[in-house]
Formats: sequence, C-alpha cells, structure tokens
Amino acid sequence: MLKLIESPFDRCLKCNACVVSCPVSNYSLDFGGPKHLGPELKRLIENQDLLDDPRVELCAICGNCDISCPEQVHVTDLIVQAKAIHSELSGTKFRDKLLSNPELIGKITSNLAPITNIAMKAKPIRKAIEKVMGIHSERQFPKYEFNNFNRRYKKKTANSERKVAYFVGCYATYNAPEIGDAFVEVMAYNNIEVAKPDQHCCGIPMLANGQFEQAKKNAKFNVQSLLKYVSEGYDIVATCSSCTLALKKEYVSVLGIDGAEELAKHVYDSSEYLRMLDEEGVLNKNLSPLNDNAGYYAPCHMKAQGIGNPAMDILELIPGYEIKDLAAGCCGQCGTFGFKEENFTLSLDIGKSMHDAVEELQPEYTVTECGMCKNQINQMTDQVVKHPIEVLAESYKKSK
Amino acid sequence: MGNRIETEVVVIGGGATGAGVFRDLTLRGIKAILVEQRDLTYGTSSRYHGLLHSGARYAVNDKEAAKESYEENLILKETIPGSIERTGGFFVKLPQDDDEYVTKWVKACNEIGIPIEEISLESALREEPYLNKKAQAIYRVPDAAIDGFTMIIDLVADAVRRGNKVLTYHQVEDLLMRENHVVGVKVKNVYTGEIIEIYANIVVNATGSWAARVAEFAEIKINMINNRGMLAVFNQRFNKQVINRLRKPSDADIFVPAHNVTIFGTTGINVDQPDDFSLNYEELQMMLEDGSNLIPNLKQMRIIRAFAGVRPLYQENKTSEAGGRNVSRGMALLDHSARDGIEGFVTIVGGKLTTFRYMAEKTGDLVAGKIGNYKSSTTRFEVVPHRHAKEFFKEINMAPATKNKLFHWAGTRAKDLEKKMKDEEILKTVVCECEQVTLGEIEASLPNGKFNLGDIRRRTRLGMGPCQGTFCHHRAASLIVQRGLATAEEAEEAVIQAIEERQKGMQIINEGETAKQLDLMRAIYYVSLGMGKEK
Ligand SMILES: Cc1cc2nc3c(=O)[nH]c(=O)nc-3n(C[C@H](O)[C@H](O)[C@H](O)COP(=O)(O)OP(=O)(O)OC[C@H]3O[C@@H](n4cnc5c(N)ncnc54)[C@H](O)[C@@H]3O)c2cc1C
Ligand code: SF4
Ligand code: SF4
Repeated sequence: MLKLIESPFDRCLKCNACVVSCPVSNYSLDFGGPKHLGPELKRLIENQDLLDDPRVELCAICGNCDISCPEQVHVTDLIVQAKAIHSELSGTKFRDKLLSNPELIGKITSNLAPITNIAMKAKPIRKAIEKVMGIHSERQFPKYEFNNFNRRYKKKTANSERKVAYFVGCYATYNAPEIGDAFVEVMAYNNIEVAKPDQHCCGIPMLANGQFEQAKKNAKFNVQSLLKYVSEGYDIVATCSSCTLALKKEYVSVLGIDGAEELAKHVYDSSEYLRMLDEEGVLNKNLSPLNDNAGYYAPCHMKAQGIGNPAMDILELIPGYEIKDLAAGCCGQCGTFGFKEENFTLSLDIGKSMHDAVEELQPEYTVTECGMCKNQINQMTDQVVKHPIEVLAESYKKSK
Repeated sequence: MGNRIETEVVVIGGGATGAGVFRDLTLRGIKAILVEQRDLTYGTSSRYHGLLHSGARYAVNDKEAAKESYEENLILKETIPGSIERTGGFFVKLPQDDDEYVTKWVKACNEIGIPIEEISLESALREEPYLNKKAQAIYRVPDAAIDGFTMIIDLVADAVRRGNKVLTYHQVEDLLMRENHVVGVKVKNVYTGEIIEIYANIVVNATGSWAARVAEFAEIKINMINNRGMLAVFNQRFNKQVINRLRKPSDADIFVPAHNVTIFGTTGINVDQPDDFSLNYEELQMMLEDGSNLIPNLKQMRIIRAFAGVRPLYQENKTSEAGGRNVSRGMALLDHSARDGIEGFVTIVGGKLTTFRYMAEKTGDLVAGKIGNYKSSTTRFEVVPHRHAKEFFKEINMAPATKNKLFHWAGTRAKDLEKKMKDEEILKTVVCECEQVTLGEIEASLPNGKFNLGDIRRRTRLGMGPCQGTFCHHRAASLIVQRGLATAEEAEEAVIQAIEERQKGMQIINEGETAKQLDLMRAIYYVSLGMGKEK
C-alpha cells in the first residue's frame, strides 16, 4: 500500500494560474496540466478508487505551478503523489528506474569514463540506447568523470570556526567535480573548512519518476546523516538547486521525513550562503576584476525556493563583472524529463524561450546552478555554461 | 380552450414518491402521465441527505419504520444499483452520549434483524482517520449512499421507455371535478403559459410538502408540517462511508459521502411554505459546532455550499381518520373516497426517500384495484437499468478521470455516446472540470424545452464541484449556442439564473476559500463578462 503525505488541496479555486505558468502545458495538449493532475485529480480519488493517469510522467516537477498559485496549493506535492500512484499501478519502465537513479548511473559510468563519454557521442551507440532505453538519440548527455568528486574529496570533518557540511549532489559528484572543487576553494578563501558527509542522491529524480519509496529511503538517510552535522554546528550548503529544494522543501512536505523540518532551517544554496556572509559583513571581498559579460539563467528549482537571485547578488560584487538576467522560462530539460525519447521534441519546444533569450542577449557565457539546465543550454545553443561558484573561484584565484 | 389529453392515471409530483408510483403503475401496464411543476427532483428528493438508511437510526424510537427501511435498503441495493454506492456505515458513540441509549439501540437492532457489528477504535480510525479518537463505541451498519438525482431520472426514463409520458415544467393549477369525482388535472406550462387538461380515472397526489395545497383544489384538508433541514456540502469526500452519531436522533448527526463530496447535516425547523429553502447562518454554525464532536477537524475543512430541503411530515387528524390508512407512522396513503367522499383521488405523502418504493407499491395496489387492474407490483424485482458502462469508451482518448466519470454515469446512454464521441472530437471537451462533465454528457441529457443549466446540473453534476460553476456555466452555455442548441439570449438568461442560484448556497458560507470563490465568480460574470447584476 502506498502511504502518502497529506497536502491540502481544498484551497484550489480552479483559477488556472498554475496552468498558464506550466511550461509543459504551454507546449503540449497531451498533458493534463497542473490543476487537473494536482488538486483536481486528488479530489476525485479521495476515499474512492485510485486513478492512474499516465500523463503525470510529463510533469517535470519544475515547480512553476507552485510559485504561481495564489492560494499556496502545493501542486507539485500532489503531482508527485500522482506519479507514485502511476508507478505503483502501471509499474515503472526500466529506463525510468535507471534515470531516477543518477547515483547508480554515476557510479557505473564514472568507472567506465572516459569510455562512456566517447560512447555517448557515437551515433550507432546512441541509436541503440534510444531503442533499448527510450532515450532520444539526438539528446546530449552530460559527461561522466572517472576522477569523480568522491574520489577527489574525502574530508569528513571541519575544524574552522564556521563549518560547512557540503551536500554535493549527483551532478557535481559524477559529472562536474570541478564545481565541488570550486566550492571548497571559495569556502577556503573565507576561512571555512568543508566536510563532505555521507550522502545519497537527494531523491528529486526518483520523485519525478514516481519512485516514492526509493526517494523516501534516500531522504531518510540524508536527513539522519546531515542532522548529525547540524548538531555539531555545521551549516548545510549545496551547489545544486534541485538538491537544495529537496532538502528545504520536498523532505518536509512531500515525504514527511522525521527531522526534515529541523534540517531545512540549516540548508543554504551556495550563493545564498555567501550572500548571508556578505550581509553579516564577513565575506572575503578580495575579488579581482573580471571583465566578462555573462547571462544568468535561473533554474526553476532556484525560483521555487523563493530566495530571490542570490547568484547575481554575489557575482555583482566582482569588480567589472557584467551579468544580466536572461529572464527566460523553463529550459525544458527538467531533470530526467528531457532525456526521454517521447519528450525530446517537447523538451526542445519548451526550451525555446531560453534559447531565444540567449540569442538576444548574446552573452560571452551563461551562468546557472543547475547541471540539467546546463545540459539543455549546451544542447540548444553554443554557449559555455558555468556554475556561479566557478566564476567566483576564478576571481578569488586571480587576487592571490 | 387548451389541449386535452386522456390517460388512466395522472401522478402529480416528480420526486421520489411520484416517480416511484409512476414506474410502479407503468410496470403493471397502466397508462400514466407524470406531471411536475419544475424539473424532476426539484423538491425534497434532491434537497436531502443522500442516505439509504439501514434502519438503525430509527431502531429505538420507531421499530416499524426501522424494519421498513432495512427491508427497502436490501431491495433497492439490488434493484437500483446505478444510484447506490454500498459504502456501509458507522454508528459512533462519544463519551458525552448516553450509555443507556446504546444498550437499547443494540437490543432493538438485534430484535429487528438489522445486522450490526462492533469494531475496534483502531480499525475504525484506519478506515475513517478524521473520526474523533475519543469515540467509545463504534458499530458497523449496512447504510449506503443513494443519489436522488440519478435515481429519479432513471425511474422516470424507465417508465418513459415503456411507453408512458412525463411533463416537466407543468404545474397542476387545479383538479378537474365532476361533482364529487376528480376526473383530471388542469396544468399550465410554466414557460409558455399554455394550459392542458388531462383527464384520468385516478389522480395521485405525490407532491410531498405541497400535498396540502394540491388537496385543497378538491377542498380536502390534509394536516402537514413542513420541516426545513439544512445541509452542508464539503469540498471533498473525507469519509469512505456514512458516519452517524450513536445517540437519540437529533441535529448534526450524519456525514454521508456522495460521489466526490461529503454531505453533512442536518437541522429541523418548522416553516410555513413548502418551498422555504432559506438558509440560516447561525443554524449552520450550530450544526458545525455539534458536528465537530464527531469530526474534530470539521471547522477547518472547506464547505463549498449549503442547501435546505423541506420534510413533508404528515399529521394524523386528531378526530377519526375514517379512510386514512396509515401505512406506518409518518407515512400516509390517503384514499379520499373513504376519507373525504371524493372519488378518483389518492394522496401519498410522508415517509423517507429510502422507503419510496414501498410507498409506491402500496399506492400502486390501491390505484390498480380501483381501475380493475389486478397485476401485482414488480418493482421489488425489476431492476432499473443501471449506470455502469465499464465496457465502453475504451478506445477513446480521454483523461482517466473523465473516463471514470463516464464509467459510472453513462449507463444506457453509453453506446450512443461512445459513437458520437468517436465521430465528433468536440464532444470529449471537459466542460465542468470539478466534476469531469463532458459536452457529450450534456448533450446526451439535454431535456426538451427551454435551455436551463439547472436541468443539466441535476443530470450531469455540472457545476456541483468546488468552483460551483465559476468556469463551467459560461463554457457550457457558449458551446450549446455554438452547437445551435439554444439561442444566445436563452443562454445568457440561463447563465444569469444559474449563477444566482449557485451564489445563494455559497454566500451563507462566507468564509475562506468559498468567499474567495464567490468573489471570483462575481468578478468573472458581473465584471468581465458583463452579464446580469450583483444582487
Ligand atoms: C434535510 C433533509 C434530509 C433528508 N435526508 C434523508 C435521507 O438521508 N434519507 C432518506 O431516506 N430520506 C431523507 N429525507 C426525506 C426525504 O428526502 C423525503 O421524504 C422525500 O424526498 C420526499 O419525496 P417526495 O417525492 O414525497 O417529495 P418531493 O421530492 O418534494 O416531490 C414532490 C414534487 O411535487 C412537485 N409539485 C408540488 N406541487 C406541484 C404542482 N402543483 N404541480 C406539479 N408538481 C408539483 C414538486 O415540485 C416536487 O418536485 C430528508 C429530508 C430532508 C428535508
Ligand atoms: S511542476 Fe512544472 S511541469 Fe509539472 S505541472 Fe508544475 S509547472 Fe507543469
Ligand atoms: S493556481 Fe492554485 S488555485 Fe489556481 S488552479 Fe492552480 S492550484 Fe488551483
């Protein structure tokens, strides 16, 4: 039996604000939309037979519906439940099981890297993948690093006055360990030591693919592991916007993990954390000028945290640095969503506003926190994509 | 001179009782016409709680009524499956409720033969997590939920399919008399004013709380008490089964799941008019106060509307009741020839919706005897075509929730509707999202005559959900106009009327989301669409 957490849905006024802001609804008539798949469907199954609506697969859990709802309905919480019902009633595709487990993919593939990276680029192999796995052959895949962050960084404790426990996330662990390196460096410039607690995938991809139980398991593990650090005075910081959202919100509201509420009080996005140091007047501002002209692309999961735009706030402290908000909608990659063969075209359609914004602004490169957004930007434009922490690290390094 | 029709029996009143009598007579092969002043189910039979009683509520105070209810409960579950959900029910005793009553109640149920089973608090809470955790005793009873709308529509459709006739929006204005004989009725089409005289051997007065008025046409006096009860509709169905308070029957005792909502009530206040459907804020608050003893979270839950119905309570004459055969307490079959010396006229009134079939059978026996038809009633076995349609709509691409509604609604219309939906894409359009009503359903149940959104609502559940028609009323109206099934003027009038009606039930809640919903509704219709005026 599925055990789902209650999330109030009787506030819904049917106003459609969520539908209008949903990137998938805007491009696909085949999707039921947030209102229907969220509060409406939930009401129709309450104390009656469960209904399996396979279209929930199309929801990318980007969170735009949550932000736009004037009644604070947690639409994504309800959709995640519908996803869980769907996978319980129709079973989960092998592909979705795999995609929902980036940690497993990461472990396997980074052992094989760089063979996998080359393989992923070769057409015949891509075709085979499309056939067997249902992943579109023209879809770019993030590269996997043999020398992943787990191999690079093993420090479990910190001794500085202010201490950070770093929630690395799958992307920085397996695909972009340079983000992890940059984070540790930036913290070091601020006299903060970084510990890397035991951790598993945050669970967002599992929720997106209806793997409720697995997500719950991971969440429990992470909450336990991180709370230990909290009790020893560490701040929990993450560089991935989806991981941050999971730790701040999903563990509390969707999964209802014991202790999650306490943990959430101590979780920060990396830029948000630096902005706080600045506000407290303790940020190291010995930053060298960078005469770059960058565009900032805000991931949906960053917007969903409702903390403004900390990456731009921080990067604007770098002398000479120009950064403009691309102010575009969802990129369309949406985590694992855009990898699926059936979503490929839709994913590119959704990403069009992002693509057009980049074309118009013509920045030298794009800054974003999310590895999946980066993947889509790489797919659709020829932009180099950097994490804000990498830019900051560069500026600090030059000042030495 | 208006039109003239002849038939064997005229039945006045399109509620459960009238529809039941109409079908009972039809099954006996009697020619009959049913006349209703508004739409079918306009009266108490839709302004009620929706509980198919197991009889347990009456076990202590009225054994006979309890027994009748239980017997009918079993019969209706078999014969009207399309309108009944076999939810089962709980009777729950709270610490403040009288222990002695419980002992009496258990004994009475056992004597009558109503199967009750005590269950542990733990398992009750597993089934109904909103129940008060301090409950001291919980019994399972065979209560069920019964949909008055679909039931009456289906009873009448079954009779019409068998060749009899129904006239809705026709009000009986007078009885046609020849000396001391009632020989028919004079009816007026309330839309056109057209008058029809219907001649018949027997006229049956099944007009519920209006019964005294109709009897007056033959200068017959019937003592009735009109007792208004209020009910509240919650946004969602928070209980799986019926939940009753185990105490001496009183107000605010019962929670009935009805499709996607829970209906809670009720109260009882005597009123003068048979159609006094007025709502009272204090009454509602008192009801909620009391109800939250059983469901502690009650006041935090969203109510989407309130409504009221009037119980037709028959009062025996203090003086001798010569011909008034009392079927049981509160249920009266009056043969006016024996009682008042007026031939050709019979009144059936009182009772409960649960016992309508029994009342109809008794009425049918009396009427059939009078016209020399000696067939017996078959409503005890003859199943009303049910509503299930699981085997249809398989290849039609629709949201699972929309399909699920059709699976439980389409019934005899399924085959035709499926074909039409295959031919015409637009019929799959979900017009009412809250209750998942498609344009196809609306067109399939559009009654003849004037376009009226209330008629559609009673047949499809359009506008019965949380938004109360904020979005679906104009959507339905414009599609119907686009399809050439009504004129723009008709549609506009229907929309204004429908939203005024919906607002009455919302206004009284006047809080939280429902107040916002009301503002949104008013803004859309009165401001954006510029239709009608705020009252
Ligand atoms: C608040 C409330 C809750 C209830 N809950 C339950 C319950 O849970 N279970 C249960 O079993 N019972 C319940 N009842 C009782 C039950 O609803 C009624 O006993 C039953 O519906 C009466 O049906 P009826 O057909 O006799 O009357 P009605 O349904 O009122 O039908 C009479 C019809 O006659 C029509 N009419 C009147 N005058 C004329 C005229 N001149 N010309 C043409 N037509 C005319 C009216 O328009 C009306 O449609 C409840 C009652 C109330 C008030
Ligand atoms: S989470 Fe994003 S994709 Fe899913 S329903 Fe909400 S807005 Fe649409
Ligand atoms: S935005 Fe919120 S209130 Fe409006 S339809 Fe969506 S969930 Fe309902």
